[in-house]
Amino acid sequence: MSELLPEQKKRITPKRPRDYVSWAVAIAIVGGLVTTTVTNENYQWPVVFSYFTTEAILDGLVLTLVLTVASMVLGTLLGLLLAVMRMSHQAPISGLARLYITFFRGTPVLVQLIFWFNIAALYPNITIGIPFTDISTPVDMNALMTPLTAAIVGLTLNQAAYMAEIIRGGFASVNRGQYEAADSLGMSGFTRLRHVIIPQTMPAIIPATGNQVIGMLKETSLVSVLGVAELLNSAQSIYARTYQTIPLLIVASLWYLIMTMALSVPQSMIERRFSRSTRRPAPVAVATKESLL
Amino acid sequence: MKADGTIVARQLCKSFGHHEVLRGIDLTVKAGEISCIIGPSGSGKSTLLRCVNGLETIDRGVLRVNGEDFGYVEKERAYHALRPQRLAEQRSHIGMVFQQFNLFPNMTAEDNVMSGPVLVKKISRKVAKEQAQRLLAQVGLAGCGHKYPAQLSGGQQQRVAIARALAMEPSIMLFDEPTSALDPELVGEVLAVMRDLAHHGMTMLVVTHEMGFARDVADEVLFMDGGVAVERGDAREVLANPREKRTQEFLERVL
Repeated sequence: MSELLPEQKKRITPKRPRDYVSWAVAIAIVGGLVTTTVTNENYQWPVVFSYFTTEAILDGLVLTLVLTVASMVLGTLLGLLLAVMRMSHQAPISGLARLYITFFRGTPVLVQLIFWFNIAALYPNITIGIPFTDISTPVDMNALMTPLTAAIVGLTLNQAAYMAEIIRGGFASVNRGQYEAADSLGMSGFTRLRHVIIPQTMPAIIPATGNQVIGMLKETSLVSVLGVAELLNSAQSIYARTYQTIPLLIVASLWYLIMTMALSVPQSMIERRFSRSTRRPAPVAVATKESLL
Repeated sequence: MKADGTIVARQLCKSFGHHEVLRGIDLTVKAGEISCIIGPSGSGKSTLLRCVNGLETIDRGVLRVNGEDFGYVEKERAYHALRPQRLAEQRSHIGMVFQQFNLFPNMTAEDNVMSGPVLVKKISRKVAKEQAQRLLAQVGLAGCGHKYPAQLSGGQQQRVAIARALAMEPSIMLFDEPTSALDPELVGEVLAVMRDLAHHGMTMLVVTHEMGFARDVADEVLFMDGGVAVERGDAREVLANPREKRTQEFLERVL
């Protein structure tokens, strides 16, 4: 056996007791949870599997996705309008946007949803028409505000307030010098916005919007209180009949989990892409390489 | 539009709130002349420069750039602000180079240079691309067109910024401390490009701390302190034999 010279010796960090203890604790907790879920008959796993892909549940799943997409798209468009209003130099315009954002962020979305569902109590009949013309139709608010309409209106208006703040944050992240450089070249306000400012707001806006989508997917479960047959409501309708409450809640939860996990894959890819192009002077092209000009 | 490359300011005044930044500045830059503005920080020299292309609005005084009133039109009792389109048109004849470069990080160097011609002048991409490559070569960056600003050194970024300003074929170039944000070893390459421009007869107004550049290149030097033009005259004369006491003190500190 040859003696090692000090220069040849490797440097290592010996394992300590806490390195083993942390593993033991984690395994004990997970093991306990798995054992109880498998052995406890009350979970009724066979019931879970039998309902997992029934038509009612899948229909609810589709409606949940429709609600998410519709509210996100409409909410983002309205949020963009609100953000532009909020940044206006005209005090009344920015004041209106601020009022809207304060109100819709300051009250619970569940309350807002129930409120929209019952809006007919405030305005039983409204008239939709084009101003200064004779074209108008009276509308019965009760007929107009179905549970589904109330759900989309409620989720959209609430989402718009949050999106407005995200978009405004994106604009605030762009350096003042960028506006000055565009101005000094003689760019019009629109050209400056379209080709210089908006592309630079995206690294701040897109990842935050991804989070909102995931949040919205779960938030749609709130509209079950209005009787909209989305995923949670579909599960509730079944267990109201069969009293298999827990298994059906598990069915709904598993579907929510699958969808949020599916969404988090593109979400983290987008986040990585944008953090790479902004943080480091990396060789990879900035996301908006498309023909900007 | 004449765009004769002259700047005339008389009794220019500008306040930020209660703070008077410019207190009656007179300035004349003839076509093809190089004028340097020097002075301690906070003396109003950057503000003066920014007024000349409308990044700051002036409160009082006369400002004529390229032979016409800048940013405003003179009426019987007041100067009326121009509409944004007219202001943008006036600005497009004035190139501006910033201390912090302010390149567009979402565009390549070449797209940065092309942005003015394509987006403002509506020149075809093909023609603008050829021009951009010529300008990048002129500032010593041939072959760097595909790079993004984040991949370039400070000195390279500033040279792209100069090329971007030149792409609008301005009659006047303004430089706001163009080398102050650079590492010392990168200052030379930017000054070399500016010297080259000066030799080609561009009207230049330069806010700078580079006394060597001012002495070698400038026709005229304006020394500002506390919002006032303390001393103005032939560049070599002012830098070698300043008449005013404040100019002497400043030059002793920086030289």
